[in-house]
Amino acid sequence: MSVEMSKIVPPRTAVRSLPTGDNCYMPAQARVMRIQELTSDVRMFDLRFNDPRLAEGFTFRPGQFVELSVLGVGEGPFSLPSSPTRRGFFQLGIRRAGVLTDFLFDRTVEGDSVGIRGPLGNGFPIELLKGHDVLLVAGGLGMVPLRGMLHYLIDLRDHFGRVILLYGTRSPEQVLFREELESLARRGDAEIMLSVDTTQGKPWGGKVGVVTQLIDDVKLDVAGTYAIACGPPVFYKFMLDKLVRLGFAKDHMFLSLERRMECGVGKCGHCAVGYTFTCLHGPVFSYWDAINLPELIYT
Amino acid sequence: MQTFRMNTNLLPSLLEALKHWGTLVAPVERAPGVFSLQEIDDITKVRPEALRTVVPFKKLLLKPRFTMLERVGGEQVREGTDNDMGPVVYFGAHSCDIHALKILDLLYLSEFQDPYYKRNRDQLTVVGYGCFPDDKCFCSSLGTETTEDGFDIFLTPLDGRFLVTVRTARGDEIVCAHPELFEPATRQDGKEYLKRLGDREKAFTLSLDVTDLPYVLELKKDDPVWEELGKKCLCCGSCSMVCPTCSCFNVIDETPEEGRSQRVRYWDACLYRNYALVAGGHNFRDSRADRVKNRYYHKQEAFVREFGKPSCVGCGRCIENCPTKINVVEVFQYVRGEL
Repeated sequence: MSVEMSKIVPPRTAVRSLPTGDNCYMPAQARVMRIQELTSDVRMFDLRFNDPRLAEGFTFRPGQFVELSVLGVGEGPFSLPSSPTRRGFFQLGIRRAGVLTDFLFDRTVEGDSVGIRGPLGNGFPIELLKGHDVLLVAGGLGMVPLRGMLHYLIDLRDHFGRVILLYGTRSPEQVLFREELESLARRGDAEIMLSVDTTQGKPWGGKVGVVTQLIDDVKLDVAGTYAIACGPPVFYKFMLDKLVRLGFAKDHMFLSLERRMECGVGKCGHCAVGYTFTCLHGPVFSYWDAINLPELIYT
Repeated sequence: MQTFRMNTNLLPSLLEALKHWGTLVAPVERAPGVFSLQEIDDITKVRPEALRTVVPFKKLLLKPRFTMLERVGGEQVREGTDNDMGPVVYFGAHSCDIHALKILDLLYLSEFQDPYYKRNRDQLTVVGYGCFPDDKCFCSSLGTETTEDGFDIFLTPLDGRFLVTVRTARGDEIVCAHPELFEPATRQDGKEYLKRLGDREKAFTLSLDVTDLPYVLELKKDDPVWEELGKKCLCCGSCSMVCPTCSCFNVIDETPEEGRSQRVRYWDACLYRNYALVAGGHNFRDSRADRVKNRYYHKQEAFVREFGKPSCVGCGRCIENCPTKINVVEVFQYVRGEL
């Protein structure tokens, strides 16, 4: 067992640096190109690095994250809902949750600059997915990193089998990227199904019920499919059990986890869980690795 | 590696000479039996025989609080310089301290290098000093009771003289600059060194059984011992502050005055309640039992899996400084069912 467990922690030997700065704590400045309201408390920020070479050269893996900061206000980790297949800019999906995000919502306008460090973390296992069907399952804000993944899969459509997205939120107003997802579904590049826990009297054409029920409506070639899940702890609890019952191998299921990533480079210790630094060896883990770290999924 | 001998009465001359290579930092006696690492001006204050300083050398590399980034007015963001120590000569490092330094190097100089640590580390000269264990030392259980590298010069006290081990070119530079202090080591010096080594080995009274410890901890992760320990531990963080390998930090942004913003970094401890708090208010380790357990697992399981050895060097500082007398060795004896 110890061999299996140690596999997910690559030896920390090679010295590397971030494209955003030789000092890994020094952010590069990026301009806010556009701010879009996705829901009442989630906004998407389109950003472009001020340094044109960095702006054009910046790339990442879907599932990685960046640290956004405003010096004097704070710094925090955010997922990218954009795909590295589209160069020159990147996007961040941000929920209002504290001092820094209040500043971004209330005091930041298009044209302002913010600090960015990254890309950080491991990202989704793209190489494994090639040639296979990919099942994306999102709960709530978990759609943010999975939208980046969805765009990636669609932009490199020929490298993958079926692309299936199941996405659930509490209510219709909380569905992120609704129009875009509906239009992608019509185009036929991906099979997309949405659900809400309750309609709350709002118009809704999708399913009503918890997101796990959506799986029952999809016919899956389980052996040829990788599942990628992203959502809150309660979502993982039910979704992962369900996938295992359907026959998914535990190392064919991946999940992205949130912890208090502060330095983002495996030094400060805040995101450590068991023997992993979530910021360095995660945030993406196979389900097998995650259940071997008891604190990782549920607490 | 080269070996010399130096008369004990020449130590003040060596200390004076070391100042040429940087700010001399060595143990001084702050109160009877209480030692701390201090910058040395008057070399008569140096107490090389000090077994352990309250706070270890880590403060020479990463200060308890320093500015990482700062911006004044509309200028560019720049690196803070208040952690920069310049060249430092750390005199009086014991073998466990040197192993701790190597552990910090693993963490801070691998993968993404920490520039603040590196700047001080690159300018650090380490002069080791042979010690003799007390009842809180258990370095011999962790293989850190001797060291072959990680120092520039090492002095082992023998009767009336020191055996002087020169490990690096920097050490050689120091020796070559002061030929009057050193003589070639004799066969008798070697013999006495070996005798001292044997006597020292016998002097250890505390031992920690680390056999298969990561897996033992895996088996014991739900053991009631952790709840018991949680009741005893105040989560004051003293053990982390005095630990030579604990180096977690927190980062906060400040605007101390109009037009000036800074990002400040300060020592943190996994035992503090807010350590694993995330945006939105969820705390991944809300109970004291979970936090104290996490500390032990990090040191003896997690670090082993990541770097191949535990991040504990057996220096005994946590035992000496715990206000509720938690003893790491007893904790693991309890985990193994020996108590």
